[in-house]
This record gives sequence, structure tokens and C-alpha cells, in this order.
Amino acid sequence: MTGEDPGPLIRLFGLTGGRARPQGEAFDLVAIVTTVGDAAEPADLIPEHRAALSLCRRPTPVADVASHLGLPLNITRVILGDLRRDGLVIIERPRPAAQTFDERLYREVLHGLRSL
Amino acid sequence: MDYAASEPGTTAVSSALAIKILIAGGFGVGKTTMVGTISEIRPLHTEELLSDRGVGVDDTSGVESKSTTTVALDFGRITIRDGLWLYLFGTPGQERFWFMWDELALGALGAVVLADTRRLQDCFPAVDYFEQRGIPFVVGVNCFDGARRYEPAKVRRALGLSERTPVVMCDVRERGSVKEVLTTLVTYAVKGVTPGDTMEGVTPGGAVESATPGGTVEGGATG
Repeated sequence: MTGEDPGPLIRLFGLTGGRARPQGEAFDLVAIVTTVGDAAEPADLIPEHRAALSLCRRPTPVADVASHLGLPLNITRVILGDLRRDGLVIIERPRPAAQTFDERLYREVLHGLRSL
Repeated sequence: MDYAASEPGTTAVSSALAIKILIAGGFGVGKTTMVGTISEIRPLHTEELLSDRGVGVDDTSGVESKSTTTVALDFGRITIRDGLWLYLFGTPGQERFWFMWDELALGALGAVVLADTRRLQDCFPAVDYFEQRGIPFVVGVNCFDGARRYEPAKVRRALGLSERTPVVMCDVRERGSVKEVLTTLVTYAVKGVTPGDTMEGVTPGGAVESATPGGTVEGGATG
């Protein structure tokens, strides 16, 4: 019994219907989310859904969606999982970093880091 | 091709890539500071809601009967170019949140284990974790003011590291120092070698091949 206001917790659970895990296939915190261009947007979307759809018109990592929405990553994933279920976004399967790196990407990343 | 092609409009996805790097280490060793030093966005500190994991700690008395807890997570971002990002995730310090590490570590390029020579043992669990899972990591010895300086070789021995694992002296408050740690990690993770002092000289199969205990990056921090 800490006596603290449980308000934020309640509100966040409200966004996800009490779920802490997204529906369907698991996806990574940095998986790329893209809004499906020709999907018709349902009229009853909550503001967080709309904001995510608007943001992901440019392919955006899950973590960035969370930062734009100002929501925890887990909550953001539940929201994105719901949007995926409704066919409004697609979420890229995680690609192991080690398999992704070729010489060009490696040099690009090193160069980018050094010029920070 | 990498994903189920059941959805329409999937062509834009494959070009974007986000690379994940973990920052681990004991409590108060400088994980959050390191993320903040290099991130182009103000590091995001989120309280993650967890449930259904039997964590065993429950501060939500009165909020249903379901076991629920939160864990703090910090992350920052470095944009290499449009559509290519590095994400730095500070891992939760408490051991009971290791299931969270599993998720963070999945697909990660590698990890930085931050160490404080005054309490080196604090980073043992992180070293064990990454060794067991075969995730490439470098040890960054954060040179706190007043902390005794150690040779990288001594730190390596104390931590029981393989001779290949890079040990970098660093100051996580210094941008240049953090950059050096990250470039060392990227090179080690991708090439499997430790870059020498002259980072420019890193070439495939070049002189950096001989990564001896004494040949690691030294003296990065300037107190």
C-alpha cells in the first residue's frame, strides 16, 4: 500500500484493454512499422491509433513510435499489434543484425558514428 | 521476401533498418549517462508495464488481482542516414528483469558492458549473460573521477574475458569517448576483431588481426 496515485497505470491499461503483450506474432522493439497506404481508416480509432498511423506513413521503428506517442514501449506494441490485426500497418519481421551487415553497411555505420 | 507477403503495400519496408545496441552493467555505472551523451534525441525513460511473468513483486495493491509491475528502460537514437538508425537500450539493472533482457537482446548487433573498477563484480552478471548467448560485447571501463586506473589487461583478467573481447577505457560523459566505444563494438561485432589505436586503419584482414591482450584500445578517457 504505497498510497500513490494509480492513475497513469489505469489509463495505460485502458489503452490496451489491460494487455501487456501485443496480439499475433511477436515483433521487435526496433521492428519497422509502415502504414498500409490504401487501407481505409476506421472512424472509431482512438487518438493514439491515429497518431501512430500518421507517423508510420514513413517507415518508423517501434521505439520511435513510442517516443512520439510518449508511451511505454510495451503499450506502444499492443497498440501497433492492434493496428496490424486490423490491416492498417505492416510490421517487419526482425532481421538478425549479424546477417544484415555487409561491408557497405558496416562502413556506413562507422562513418556515421565518427562524424557525429 | 523477408516477411509474410499477405499484406498489400509492403514494398516500402525493406529499405529501412534499425540496429539495436545494448548498454549493460551494474546499477549507477553510467548506462543512462552514456545513452544521453550520444543520443540525438533526449533519451527516453519509460516505465514499462509487465504482467503475466510471475515477477513476484507487486506494487499495485488494489489494482485487480493480476500480478503487474513496471521496469524502467532508457533508450536513445543515432541517425546514420534517412532509414538507418542505431538504437541504444540501457538494460534494466535488476537481475529479476532478465527476461526483459532476452527480448532486448534478440537480434541485437552487440552490447557494451560498462564496468566501474571500484566494484568490478557488478558487471559479472552482464558479462555472463552475453557470453552464454554468444552476443558480441565490449567492456567499457568507465573512468570515474577518483577511481584507480587499471590496465585493460588487468580488467580482462579480473573479468575472466577471452583475449578477443575488447576492453576500452572510457568516460561516458565524453562524446568522443562514447563514439570510440561504439565504433569498437561495431567493428568487433561485424569483423570479429579489435581495432587498434588507429581506427582509420581498420581494413578487412588487415593489421588489426593480432588482437593481443596488450593491443586493445587504451587511454580513451581524459579525466
